[in-house]
This record gives sequence, C-alpha cells and structure tokens, in this order.
Amino acid sequence: MNPLALMTKSDIVFVGIAIMLLPWLYIAFWGDGNSGELARIQVGKQTPVLISLQTAQRYTFAGPLGNSIIEVKDGRIRFISSPCKGKQCIHSGWLSKNGDFAACLPNLMSITVSGHHPRFDSINF
Amino acid sequence: MRKFVLMHLLIAILVNSACSYQDRKNTTHNSQLLALGTLINISLWDVDENLADSVVHAVDNRLQTFHHDWQGWAPGRLADINAALASGMSITLKDDELKLLQQAISLSQSSQGLFNPAIGQLIGLWGFHSDNPAGPPPNDAAIKTLLHLNPSMSDLRLDDHELSSQNKAVQLDLGAFAKGYAIDQAVMIIKQNGIKNAIINAGGDLRAIGAHGNRPWHIGVRHPTKAGTIAAIDTQGDESIFTSGNYERFYVYEGQRYQHIIDPRTGYPSTGTLSVTVIHQDAATADAAATAIMIAGTENWQTVAHQMNIDKVMLVDEQLTVHLTPAMLKRIKFEHQPTIVLSNHSS
Repeated sequence: MNPLALMTKSDIVFVGIAIMLLPWLYIAFWGDGNSGELARIQVGKQTPVLISLQTAQRYTFAGPLGNSIIEVKDGRIRFISSPCKGKQCIHSGWLSKNGDFAACLPNLMSITVSGHHPRFDSINF
Repeated sequence: MRKFVLMHLLIAILVNSACSYQDRKNTTHNSQLLALGTLINISLWDVDENLADSVVHAVDNRLQTFHHDWQGWAPGRLADINAALASGMSITLKDDELKLLQQAISLSQSSQGLFNPAIGQLIGLWGFHSDNPAGPPPNDAAIKTLLHLNPSMSDLRLDDHELSSQNKAVQLDLGAFAKGYAIDQAVMIIKQNGIKNAIINAGGDLRAIGAHGNRPWHIGVRHPTKAGTIAAIDTQGDESIFTSGNYERFYVYEGQRYQHIIDPRTGYPSTGTLSVTVIHQDAATADAAATAIMIAGTENWQTVAHQMNIDKVMLVDEQLTVHLTPAMLKRIKFEHQPTIVLSNHSS
C-alpha cells in the first residue's frame, strides 16, 4: 500500500515542512562550516570569556605583564596591543576560522576561534 | 490518529537531536590552571563533576610543587642541587629526584648530547632565565668561555642517591624536559583516580589518554609561521604530542631575533628549523626529543630521532618544507598539502 494514500493533504504539508526544517536544524545545531563565530579568551586562571565575532569592538584584558588589547571586526579577531616583548601574538594577525588560535604566553592569554562544533579538542604548539 | 503519531515522531526526532547536541557539549569537563609558568588545560571526558574537581585540584598541587622545585631560575630544590654541584659538593637525592635525573641523563645520552640540561649557565647567559627575556645577547667571548668548559650530563656522578659533578661548570636547566616530566606526573594522578579519557595540555604540549567518547581526541598542530593550524592528529590510546618551535620564546634586540633553543655544540640559538613535532607515549621523552631533533636540524634529525627511538616526527624547515618519518605520515592530516620530504629512516 502506498503510505501517501494514508495521509491527508495536511499530513503531507506537515511532513513537508518538517523535512524543509531539517537543513536549518542541521546548521543551527551541528553545522559550522569553516568559519568561526565565537572567540574564547583565556587569561590566566580566570574563567574563559566568550566573544561574538559578529560585533565590531575592542576589548582590553589585564594579564600579569599588563593590558592586552583585542580587536573584533568583520567576523575576525586579533591582538592589536600586548605588553610582551616578542609580539608574536600580534604577528599572528587576524583569526577567523574555526580552530584558529593565537597565544601570548608571557601575558598568559590565548584566543581560540570556534564555531558551534570546535574542530579540535586541543591545540599543540 | 495519524497526525498524533506523526506529531510525536517529529517531536521525538527534535528532542533526540537536541539531547545529542547537549550530550556532546556537556560530557567534557574542561579546567584551566596556571602552573609551570604557563596555562594548563585539562579536559576530562565523561567524569563525575566532583571527581573531576578533586583530580584537577590534585594535579594543580602536584604541578605547583614541581614548578617550585625545578624551575631553573628561582630558589628551590634545583637551585640547591646546582649550588652543590658548583661548589664541588655532593647532594643526597630523594627517590623521585633520582628518578627524574636518571631519566634526564639517559635522554641526554641517547640524543648524542643535543638535549643537554647541563648548559644552564649558557641559557642564563643568553637571558632566558627570565619570565620575560629581553636581551642583550651575550658576546662571543663569553659564549666561547662557557663552551670550553664543556658541561654535560656525563659529568654527573650518581653513587646510590648521592649526586655530584666532576665539572663545576655544570648547571642544570631542565627547561627542555621538566614540562614533559610534570605532564607525566599529572597523567599518573589522573589514571590513579580511575579516569581513562583525558588530555592535559601545558602551554601547547600535551598528553592524551583514551578517547573522546566513540572517537579519538582530535588535536590541531599550530602552523609555525602564521595563525591557525598546519595539521591535525588523532591520538591513539596514550600518546604525547610535543612541539619545539623557534616561535615559542625569543627576544628581538636591535632588530635581530634570538630564540631560546640553544645548540650546545655552538653556544648559539639553533638555526634552520622552524619547528619539530613528535609523538611518543611518555611526555618527558617527547619533550627532550623535540628539543634535540630541533637542534639536530635538517641534516641530522633522522639519526637523532632513531637514537632516541622516536618514530613519529615532523620537522618544518625555514622554507616551510615538511620532513616526515613514514610513521608520522600515516598519522598526520595537513590543512593544505605542503612540500613533503619523506624520511627513509624509521626507528
């Protein structure tokens, strides 16, 4: 027996809407593509701070050496000022992809970009 | 009736989807510590919250004590040992201290002296006995004077628990080994508490045990010259992944960059290699091997890796060419396919 024969028109519309919702559900809960949406800022032992990459803003975080300044713009994030000597964190440039990572170990600070589903459980460097 | 069944089916799918999502988010317990002079991240999979807190607390205590005892440039047990060696006296080691130094001596021998914790004076001379090294670099005469004294781990003498040195120029600096040894200690605590799935990452170097549920732990390896990762590695069982890179600690003085990995043969920072990544079970060995292979450089790295029984190595040279052992090739996935030179040398 054709299962559609058991369904009324409203059943078919209902199931159709449910099927159309599936891609949205996948993207909303599981999908992340390769672009990051959030940045996780870790400073020393403090509770990590989550920052949206969708809102352009500058943030100042105080580490043991002094203040590090972070800029968010156009879905990207970067260190723009740091009290460390090497400035490796600043040279890392813009971070935008899920899994991108930069750290200023002298100032005990790190930025990890992630989407809904972090690409990595841990970063080796 | 049909609508009722369909409605419940749809609701069940949505609830299942949401629950699976929540499960994935909530079963890893992540903690951060400040220890060993760096950030420590501990990830525990599928562990009761109270147990996780108690284990993290125990690891924190162990790491703080370890750092106090073994930091190269602050008062502590290592400073006491170095003072005794410099004065030609012997010092009595505790069991755990003896074990640590025996492992350091053994690794130094197998690395052909490229991992040489006895060159503490040289590392201090370069200004890296500081949390924030700034230079200036030492002059050539001072470097040559220390090189001429030729301190090495083979100068140490162990008579039961009595440690002495026949070379007063030996000053121990365990910077290329202590982090790995401390991670091994932390993993021992984690295992002793019955936890089978965990990662401990200390400032970028890590040891992972078990898995993340029904998949392996997924590790990103940082690119040596730009933001993001160069490759990914899925861990298998109990493995440490350590990277030595010339980007880790350095200072710029009058426009010249000086990195912290000192070649004990020349007395100068090692050159030619951007980073070395190794996989090995125990973290202390991985730590020392990454340093020794980095110093060995593109010419000799295969020999040193073989001598140290390290079969999974990735070396990135200054042209960004990636040198791999066959065993590492099987384990690593690159973000973008680099130029690869495959070693024909395997341990």
